[in-house]
Amino acid sequence: MSKLKAGNIKKGTYVLHNGKPHYVTKAQFVSPGKGSAFTRTKLQDINSGATLDFVFKSHDSVEEIDVESREMQFLYIMSDEVVFMDPRSYEQVNISVKLMDGKEKFLVPELNVYIQFFQEKAIGVSLPPKIKMVVAEAEDAVAGDRQNAGKKPVTMETGLIVQAPLFVKKGDNLLLDTATGEYVSRAN
Amino acid sequence: MKNWQRIKKNSELKEKFFIREKVFDGIRSFFKNDGFHEVETPLMIKHPGTEPYLEVFETELINDEQKRKQAFLLTSPEYAMKKLIAGGIGNIFQICKSFRNGEGLSEKHNPEFTILEWYRVNADYKDIMADFENLLWYLHTTIHQTEDKLLTYQGKKYDISAPFIRMTVAEAFEKYIGIKKQDLLSAKKLKEVALDKGYQVNENTDWEGAYNQLFLNEIEPRLVELNRPVIIYDYPISQAALSKRKKDDPGFAERFEVYLAGIELGNAFSELTDAVEQKKRFEEELELRKTLKKTEYSLDKDYINALEEGIPETGGIAVGVDRLIMLMADVADINDTIFFPAHEVFSS
Repeated sequence: MSKLKAGNIKKGTYVLHNGKPHYVTKAQFVSPGKGSAFTRTKLQDINSGATLDFVFKSHDSVEEIDVESREMQFLYIMSDEVVFMDPRSYEQVNISVKLMDGKEKFLVPELNVYIQFFQEKAIGVSLPPKIKMVVAEAEDAVAGDRQNAGKKPVTMETGLIVQAPLFVKKGDNLLLDTATGEYVSRAN
Repeated sequence: MKNWQRIKKNSELKEKFFIREKVFDGIRSFFKNDGFHEVETPLMIKHPGTEPYLEVFETELINDEQKRKQAFLLTSPEYAMKKLIAGGIGNIFQICKSFRNGEGLSEKHNPEFTILEWYRVNADYKDIMADFENLLWYLHTTIHQTEDKLLTYQGKKYDISAPFIRMTVAEAFEKYIGIKKQDLLSAKKLKEVALDKGYQVNENTDWEGAYNQLFLNEIEPRLVELNRPVIIYDYPISQAALSKRKKDDPGFAERFEVYLAGIELGNAFSELTDAVEQKKRFEEELELRKTLKKTEYSLDKDYINALEEGIPETGGIAVGVDRLIMLMADVADINDTIFFPAHEVFSS
């Protein structure tokens, strides 16, 4: 743990607030025009998931918590848990599917991700920015029969539905943007 | 995806951006019907405002002899407009760009933004409160083609009929934090309350730090719950900026801010007309700027001169037009009201 000045808090920092670990989802410098500067933050309680707003004085000191980031491989998914494996130690870790923040449909076999640990407990998962996936189902579309000109919905191997160009067929490999869920390009 | 690409993909999006045009037209009709004149004053200036925590954009003016002069982009057209008032021009308004550097981007901030300022002579801040209430009503009824007093914003309905909720800073501190007015100006008392509530307080914490942290955390967020626009007025004198001291209550100043849906829309004053007090405040602020290592510049002597020659009692206000547009267009992010927001223009 190290002390940080609130003015240096950035989005993505992990801090202790009211004794509990929080993830900084937003940090913004605020100056009411005259007087000291403040940092407006949005904090997410790592355990409960609850978010709160808090304004720090820029000179307030905040405890930055040690979060370890470990590379792990996706093994399989159950109804409410996802199982990852450390490729070096073969140690397996089960994490709640809630930590995937709705992105569990990007998990393809053997995908390498980074998992953040705090005090040996998994608190977050980082996906690679782009992932290659196979198209499981794609209808032949006739150009002009959709309002979304030039695109049609296709279903990926994980069940994820993506808007893809009309030429995409079942069995194609696509590159997808994990931040937006959008089609980027075809892949080999 | 850039805004122009988003508009290409979904042409209905243009209508949200066109709300800006409607707000501009509405502002102009409103003031012209009331006999105001629209003025235009420089964006490139020599003496920016002295607010210690605003940072400026700096440039250079090169003349035909290659002589260079320090120049800046304005943070507000206030000084020029008040010089015109001193010149006897009468009631005026201006819609122009203003620039604030180093503030960081947010869903309510863009470094280049549109400001509306108006000044009413032989008037004070209470007259400006009424102006704002009437302007908001006019914009809402004209743009939304309705007589309904409810404005819908991000799923909530706000009754924007006049008069707005009006609360003094002292009343707000008493209502939301339990501090009595006589204790509000005491650094010792304020720090005690802040400490009690779990905020960090040490010997370096001053009255200002405690006051603002309490206001931003305990009061500002609660104003949204009132489901109406709120005018917070009569600020402690150290937060007075360019406003007049209250005659019957000198610890406080004739300043107000107006909030709606958690968004601060405007900052208004009974304008300070005393040249001596104004010069003193300018000097103090410029000193503080030096300590804070902000860009240095000198005070506007011409402005002090205008005050010395005499200026009528005037009420004035600065309004964030982009934020007004956010409310009228029902968008949560200022970037959805600006075709080319800074973060898109300057993205790597």
